Amino acid sequence: MTHSPRGGRQAGDLVLHVYMLLFFAYMFLPLIAMMLAGVNDYSPPSITVWKGFTLRWFSALWQDARMWSGLANSLMIAGAVVALSLPMGLAGALLLSKLGRRSAGLLYIIMVSPLLTPGLIIGIATVTLWSQLGVSGGVLTAILAQSAFISAYAMLMFMARLQRQDITLEEAALDLGATPARAFRRITLPFLRPTMISAAVIAFLQSFENYNTTIFSIGGDHTLVTEIGARMRFGISPMINAIGIIFVALTVICAVLWGVLRKRGIARQA
Amino acid sequence: MTSLIRAFGGPLTCLILFFSGVWVLGLIAAPQIIMIDKSLWRMERPVGAAELSVQIDGLYNRLDLLALDRSTVADQPEKLAAIDTETSTIQAQIADLERAETTPVKTYTLDNFRQMGAAHFAIFVRTILASLAVSALALVVCYPIAFAVAQLKTARTAALIMLMLVVPYAINELLRIFAWQMLLGPNGPVNAVLSALGLPAVPFLESGAGVFIAMVYAYILFMVFPLYNVLETLDKNQIEAARDLGAPVWQIHRRVVIPHARPGIAVGCIMTFMLSVGSYSVPYIMTRGTAAPWFTQLIYNRFFEATNWNVGAAYALSLLIVCMIFVFLMMRLLKVSLKDIAK
Repeated sequence: MTHSPRGGRQAGDLVLHVYMLLFFAYMFLPLIAMMLAGVNDYSPPSITVWKGFTLRWFSALWQDARMWSGLANSLMIAGAVVALSLPMGLAGALLLSKLGRRSAGLLYIIMVSPLLTPGLIIGIATVTLWSQLGVSGGVLTAILAQSAFISAYAMLMFMARLQRQDITLEEAALDLGATPARAFRRITLPFLRPTMISAAVIAFLQSFENYNTTIFSIGGDHTLVTEIGARMRFGISPMINAIGIIFVALTVICAVLWGVLRKRGIARQA
Repeated sequence: MTSLIRAFGGPLTCLILFFSGVWVLGLIAAPQIIMIDKSLWRMERPVGAAELSVQIDGLYNRLDLLALDRSTVADQPEKLAAIDTETSTIQAQIADLERAETTPVKTYTLDNFRQMGAAHFAIFVRTILASLAVSALALVVCYPIAFAVAQLKTARTAALIMLMLVVPYAINELLRIFAWQMLLGPNGPVNAVLSALGLPAVPFLESGAGVFIAMVYAYILFMVFPLYNVLETLDKNQIEAARDLGAPVWQIHRRVVIPHARPGIAVGCIMTFMLSVGSYSVPYIMTRGTAAPWFTQLIYNRFFEATNWNVGAAYALSLLIVCMIFVFLMMRLLKVSLKDIAK
């Protein structure tokens, strides 16, 4: 040990920083390569053969009917999942908040279990149930399968918010003669509104991006993401890379927006 | 129940119970119960099928004899009529018996699980082992990252770094996988580098190595965020104190950082393991059917290609049980509760 402890620490920090940089390269370079292949005038997608910049994969994408119908299905499913999982998640959170310790514990385990179950099993189980009832796999079963686990996300978000609620407000309303329903509508619901918005956004994105549960429950139908998966398998057209560029761009925009909004939120609270 | 009505009033309580009931019973419990039930029975040949078929053969013989008799009594109408009625009753009898012989009956059995056979069981085990390796590798790679970011002096830089990591995390899983399909393909950049170095080309996609590489990449961020979330709450003074007391680096981690990180490690491992073992997209996209299948692909085949839902349900249930055991083991090993996990 010739280093002083301080020098050793700085060397350690340097190693950590280099490692962090490598990790970032590992995270981003593959995505950048994928995006580059989307504007390369060469098919199948490649970056080792460079034939020049083109936007023709985007126009091919624009004319692809199955992608559009997939997008329509995705939006429809996501909308229905939001409409289902918000009330179900909220009901679950409210129920747990008022139940006794023991029964709440068991119910809680059941409600979060879909988050600890591989998505395909939720999908397959839903299709199995509904085929018994004469409904074959399709948009409806995909909606139900996705809602089973997306409601759990919503429930956890509502629970976290409810735990921070100042119950004295509600009690004051009740003391002043408000009915429980009125107190709920006037006090608890407005308090939960920000969570409702973020839960709706999360539920929408979770549904829209979902592959694993959907592919096992959608039957003969398709969503945008399952269609992308089917095309990817043989990786024939850079059209998929063009879609990748759009997805990445949307994600970056959302992340930046979210970052800015959160910063504003923190600033306002301070 | 009474506390619910007191808190929310009658109509609202009804709504709450209705929506919770639809979710918990209709969307979570019922599908699982039906799937478990389905894995435990199959349609079988009825028990007495062999005896029935002997009986049917006998009846056919009798029919042949009657036909013979009929030709000898062609000039006696009343005998003819008697033979005809007997023929038609025997024919009806045969139809009934044949239906009983061929109509399968629902039989409860564990045979669906035994259907797995050595080949499928080997894939099952390989899938589990590979997923364990993915989780372990993700933990080893991510721990220093999460620690380094959490230790940064300014909270602002840390938040910015995490926001940057949210981007690849939020990008669709399929795209993260697809990127590697191109990188590792026969004409991809990785093989181009290998050949430039004078090394032989590696069939990543055909050998299953590609599945493993893409899987680590696709699911590694599910380890980073839980780890970061717990390490962020670690009081830096604790590390300082340990350091001042002369603890070497590995001791600081073993005695201070890792014990604090237990819930994060548990969540990260559970998520990466569950996603890997239940992944359909990675093997589907990375192998193009050339490498040995992942267990999830077998489940898909049982359901949608072989259309043997009973065996498929048994396979899916086996996978679910493995996941439950893993969650239970992690909770035991790291002494965390479910409340710590679902956050």
